[in-house]
Amino acid sequence: MSIFIAKLSTWSRSQKNRNLFYQLVFLILVAFFVNYLVSKAMQLELTLSHFESRSGFGISHTFIKDYTSNDSRWSAYFTGVINTVRVSLVAIILATLLGTIMGVARLSKNVLFSTIAYLYVELVRNTPLLIQIIFWQIIFLKLPRITEALTFGSTVVVSNRGILLPYAKPAEDINSNIFVIVLLFIIIISFVLSYYLNKKEDIDGKKFKILNYNINGSLAGTFVFLILSVSAYFILQKPFVLDLPSLYQNSKGTYLQSGGFEFTPEFGAILFALVIYTGTFITEIVRGSIQSLSKGQTEAAQSLGLTNYQSMTLIILPQALRSIIPPLTNQFLNLTKNSSLSVVIAYPELFMVSRTIMNNSGRALPVFFLILFTYLSLSLIISLFMNFINRRVTRIGA
Amino acid sequence: MKSKLFFLLLAVMSLTLIIACSEEVEEAAPQVEVTKDSHDDDDDHDHDEHKDHSTLEEVLERGVLKCGVNDNLTGFGVVTSAGTFEGFDIDYCKAVAAAILGDASKVEYVPLTASARFEALSSEEIDLLIRNTTWTASRDRDLGNDFTATTFYDGQGMMVYADSGYKTIEDMAGATICVLQGTTTELNLDDRFKSAGLDYTPLTFETNDPLQAAFEERRCDGWTTDKSGLASKRAEFPAAAGGPEALVVLAETLSKEPLGPLTRDNDSEFYDVVQWVVFGLIQAEESGITSSNVAAMAADPKDPGMARLLGVPYGDGKVADFSFGVDPTFIQHAIKAVGNYGEIYERHLTPLGLTRAGSLNAMWTEGGLIYAPPFR
Repeated sequence: MSIFIAKLSTWSRSQKNRNLFYQLVFLILVAFFVNYLVSKAMQLELTLSHFESRSGFGISHTFIKDYTSNDSRWSAYFTGVINTVRVSLVAIILATLLGTIMGVARLSKNVLFSTIAYLYVELVRNTPLLIQIIFWQIIFLKLPRITEALTFGSTVVVSNRGILLPYAKPAEDINSNIFVIVLLFIIIISFVLSYYLNKKEDIDGKKFKILNYNINGSLAGTFVFLILSVSAYFILQKPFVLDLPSLYQNSKGTYLQSGGFEFTPEFGAILFALVIYTGTFITEIVRGSIQSLSKGQTEAAQSLGLTNYQSMTLIILPQALRSIIPPLTNQFLNLTKNSSLSVVIAYPELFMVSRTIMNNSGRALPVFFLILFTYLSLSLIISLFMNFINRRVTRIGA
Repeated sequence: MKSKLFFLLLAVMSLTLIIACSEEVEEAAPQVEVTKDSHDDDDDHDHDEHKDHSTLEEVLERGVLKCGVNDNLTGFGVVTSAGTFEGFDIDYCKAVAAAILGDASKVEYVPLTASARFEALSSEEIDLLIRNTTWTASRDRDLGNDFTATTFYDGQGMMVYADSGYKTIEDMAGATICVLQGTTTELNLDDRFKSAGLDYTPLTFETNDPLQAAFEERRCDGWTTDKSGLASKRAEFPAAAGGPEALVVLAETLSKEPLGPLTRDNDSEFYDVVQWVVFGLIQAEESGITSSNVAAMAADPKDPGMARLLGVPYGDGKVADFSFGVDPTFIQHAIKAVGNYGEIYERHLTPLGLTRAGSLNAMWTEGGLIYAPPFR
């Protein structure tokens, strides 16, 4: 026994051996911990088989996908996912535009612009997003009620049930899907054409000519696009028809509005809140990135005789873009995740719809895993895309 | 630094394990005692298998009844400006406290949210849950509690603006409906419109305040939730938006929502007391006993049935004690404290505009469902 203790004490004198011992203990604890979690999880029913059953509830905003309460819970869930993607995508684009404009305005020599941008950032950034969302909901609800709805001819209807705009909707019979695909092809062809012509012009150093007329690449691309798309439209027997909004009273005297593209107060409130809130952070990112550039860049551009606009778009912003993109990615991710706050104002995005499914099925845990997985996937897609952009931007600069 | 962090992590993990293990021990322990208990337990408590103590004894010992209630539903359970609780459900807490402890003020009210209520009961944070809770099969089976009796027959309803001209749901083709996210509210709404073959747009809200804001601005044509909730929201509808008169709750009921008090599973002594307090107050109304005449009735009961109900001797006879583990005069105390069923209803629900006559909550003698089994 004493030999064993003596051996142990010599063994433990080495730092390496002691570390080995700690690691072993740690590993055992981890194994127990994982085992505990797994055994607990095994007691729960973790399948999503109940997602196959009829959902039984309605959803107010359906976009692209038709959904009725007779569809499965999966269908309801994907309607929610589409609503999340829809509001996030539009908000990301608008917030980037707003942030860039405000970021440039923030550095403007014009005191009015810079003050507006300064106040915008300081006021909006320092109040909670949730409160801003409810604020925008109340603002949108102050639009005229449906009984006093504003109509502009038969093109636009404005009420707090939604703003309806003219819209192209697929005609009764087929061809609309084919048309969309053909249109995509036409867009690609036009872009390739204008890119090729512009490139050729750059390389040759002279204008491309047909019958002594100067042909500009962008102009030619637009022209080709118009010709092809109009002819495709007629060849496919007018696959889309104009869908005009209307305001009417039904036989019971109830005012109803329908048709056209619907911009609802709920979508508007969450969109405005996300754009304006995230815009402040993008403003600061843009401002910081521009300021991080050497002042010599602006001075050099000015001494070359470039106008302020030219020096901003040709010299400053392209360089600033390199340090804008990585923090911008963070803001895009935040925006997408923040869209789940629209649960308070009845915009049925994925979290709202999932909550209803959880309530109805009583099985919260697997649904929560699904929600987490979905947000993770959305975030990873945004990250991948932004990394791609980032690589391009840094490569051009180098 | 690194090693400190490492030991901290180690400590946290071992702590988790210890907690995890002790949890399992706790879970197992009562089961061990069950087998012991069931052998030397009295044979008349065959429902008491999983218990080693009764809530009734606990309440008697503590001298206070812990009652889980709503604090934000006018008429059913609400905190007044004076800080006291008031409402239909609150009166049942008082009645049970008066029946068991002889004093209606010996109640500790625990305000609970809809999602926390069942766990509060099963974790023994409260003795009794009276919080406008619907009796359903799955709740009775899964959530470790027992529904005692129905005190109010509720149902999902539809509230519309009076000037909209809607009389029934059939009129509401194409309407936008504001609906509060609930366990079945959205499903009942959809079922009703689907079966009528009508289109509608549901606007699902998570909380009441944004919903009310939208409804006040007429973003939606209808507002659907339990009728009691609608009546309560209607009663406090702001005058700026037209006040209660601007709104109408449609007569139609979209679903069955019987509300009543809940006790824990396998707690039959306490369960019986609560159940028979509810029945006692109903029987009191049927027999014409009110809070004002209960003393006179107890002194000179009109018939043997009334004497049994009030726990007093009829003529020279003996007092009928039903052995509920409380004083035989427990119903008398309850009536003294809050009055009979009709009085409670009159006090809290009639002001909300919930008319009793002709509804399910009328006495069985008047075509309603309010009925008590016989006291004998």
